[in-house]
Amino acid sequence: MINGNYFLLNVFLMVVGTLTIRGSFIAVSGKMKISDKTRELFTYIPAAILPAFIVPATFFHQGQIAEVFGKERFLILVLTGIVFYFVRSTLLIIGLGLGLLYLVTQF
Amino acid sequence: MGFRAVLPIISGIIPFGAVMGSAFGEAKLSFWQAMLMNTSVYAGAAQLATVELMTQNAAVFVVIATGLIINLRFLLYSAAMSPMVHDSSPLIKFLCAFSLTDQSYATMSANHDKFSTNKEGVSFYLGTAACMMMTWHASVIAGYVFGNFAPASWSLDYAVPLSFVALLIPTLKNKKYVAVAVFSAIMSLLLYQLPLRMGLMVTALLAIGFAWLIVRRKK
Repeated sequence: MINGNYFLLNVFLMVVGTLTIRGSFIAVSGKMKISDKTRELFTYIPAAILPAFIVPATFFHQGQIAEVFGKERFLILVLTGIVFYFVRSTLLIIGLGLGLLYLVTQF
Repeated sequence: MGFRAVLPIISGIIPFGAVMGSAFGEAKLSFWQAMLMNTSVYAGAAQLATVELMTQNAAVFVVIATGLIINLRFLLYSAAMSPMVHDSSPLIKFLCAFSLTDQSYATMSANHDKFSTNKEGVSFYLGTAACMMMTWHASVIAGYVFGNFAPASWSLDYAVPLSFVALLIPTLKNKKYVAVAVFSAIMSLLLYQLPLRMGLMVTALLAIGFAWLIVRRKK
């Protein structure tokens, strides 16, 4: 259960911070230039952060299937990653991943 | 025009929004708390991460720093959009900034050559933003309402990492991006046990530092 005041404080700070980030350059509208290297560095941000969410949620989740050493989530992650690489459908990989996880853990 | 242009890519937003709504429900937030955060922050990946951290009572600094690091990419979009909005009113500038998302920016950017004036570009962009916002909020509400009824055996919690896979893979443009992603994955495992959920933050900073080395080395 998330404490109400703790939640509101976090939301308030996220609103201020996110709007500042989104509006920073729009507010100064072209009066400031960013270097090409900094611009390129920004493009690495998803690759730098998203695996740090995906990997622990996969590896540190308690598995349920002894035959695959309790790491069925890892196998499903790899499979859905390969499928997404070719199909590029968020809906499909979420459905496929959850469907497979359900089948593997229930049967 | 912008509204129609973004329609083909919103199919990916619906499950992501449903995951967000479901995460709000899983975190035992009230409907109004969920809507407050969803309408005021309006940043899916950062919201997912911060809600997850809040459920674990992470320090406020960790929650905010994590969310804002995820949102740092909006700096680039903001910089790229600034020439187009420089002669717009403060209200339009505010709306453009507030509604900035990956999908809206990408759609606007892909159609940039079609605009003969800045005003046309801004109108197009606001059309994409309106479509994105409506889709996002509707899918989050649906996820909140129906996600709560899903049994644990459906493992809906795993939809979050799966949706992040869908966000990650298109950004891996070449081996350098893959190297940064692999570095981040390894560091996240090594640093997982750090207190106050600092593993995520430290991993992100180290991975961005690693990316900076790659960018600096490139001639």
